[in-house]
Amino acid sequence: MEPGGHATTMDAHWGGGAAPFGASWQKTMMWIFIVTDALLFSGLLCGYAFLRQSNAAPWPNRPEVFSIPFIALMTFILISSSATMGSAVTAARLGDRKKALLNLLITIVGGTAFLGCQAYEWGHLIHEGARLTGPIAGSELIHKGVTSQFTQAFFLLTGFHGSHVLSGLVILIITAIRTSMGKTPAQGVEMAGLYWHFVDLVWVFIFTLFYLL
Amino acid sequence: MSETAPGANPYKIYWVTWGILLVITVAMLAAESFHMPRIFLVVFLLAFMMVKAVMIGGNFMHLRFERKNLAFMVASGILVTSLILYLFITPESWHVKKSSAVDATPAAAPAAETAPAPAH
Repeated sequence: MEPGGHATTMDAHWGGGAAPFGASWQKTMMWIFIVTDALLFSGLLCGYAFLRQSNAAPWPNRPEVFSIPFIALMTFILISSSATMGSAVTAARLGDRKKALLNLLITIVGGTAFLGCQAYEWGHLIHEGARLTGPIAGSELIHKGVTSQFTQAFFLLTGFHGSHVLSGLVILIITAIRTSMGKTPAQGVEMAGLYWHFVDLVWVFIFTLFYLL
Repeated sequence: MSETAPGANPYKIYWVTWGILLVITVAMLAAESFHMPRIFLVVFLLAFMMVKAVMIGGNFMHLRFERKNLAFMVASGILVTSLILYLFITPESWHVKKSSAVDATPAAAPAAETAPAPAH
């Protein structure tokens, strides 16, 4: 091993200096924002765990309350939109504006479809009698074991996630418009992509912990 | 840092990841039908959830190609804080559950009050 080899490795991976993470300030700030936003969902998921464990009755059987194939479709849409978003980032980096724009538009369609599915799911459950404060008296949901803890967890988790999808869509639409005008640099598309992938990442946790477990 | 070898299809990583994520999602959905013991199902689902998270973070969000300290800050920051939150918040839920079970049996309280004191 050459003298100072270890120090060189340490410097390459852990060194500070003007760019401690070896990334632009935009990317560093975006990652710090993502970590803080992830902690918001972490708190919400811990709140969900609290509500579920403190629920005196058995937790409702999800396939009786939701259509799991429908939720799986929503997951498929979001994962697919993440792949097209990744393609948009790569196309922007390679300077292929047309391809970047096409992939951005497909991502926007996917995100809108996901939000539409979520609105349908909310509407369906509200129509069945679910409210943030619990199922209304005489609701069929009570016979399925739905409690106020369940509806609170559902509306807060999916509501916060849905609001992130909505803000992600606004960012994507602005990015697409600016890309079509040639005003967004590749890094701008990359930052929008990081946020969109984060929204997908959060859904992975909600889908598993709330709908499947 | 370069994410693909020269000449390689730069879009491939996203579609390979997409395919793997879909296969994992289908496996998670099918797991219930195997009627495995609950503990195995929970471990299976949590393990695959983490695999999906790592694939999205690593391949879609390019953390694999960033400097290690960025990936470390992101992963440890989220995981350690989440674990602390979970360990400090959720044990209280058992007390809430216990006290609500006691409240559900109103006869228990007066009976306790009128119970004879233990002989010394």
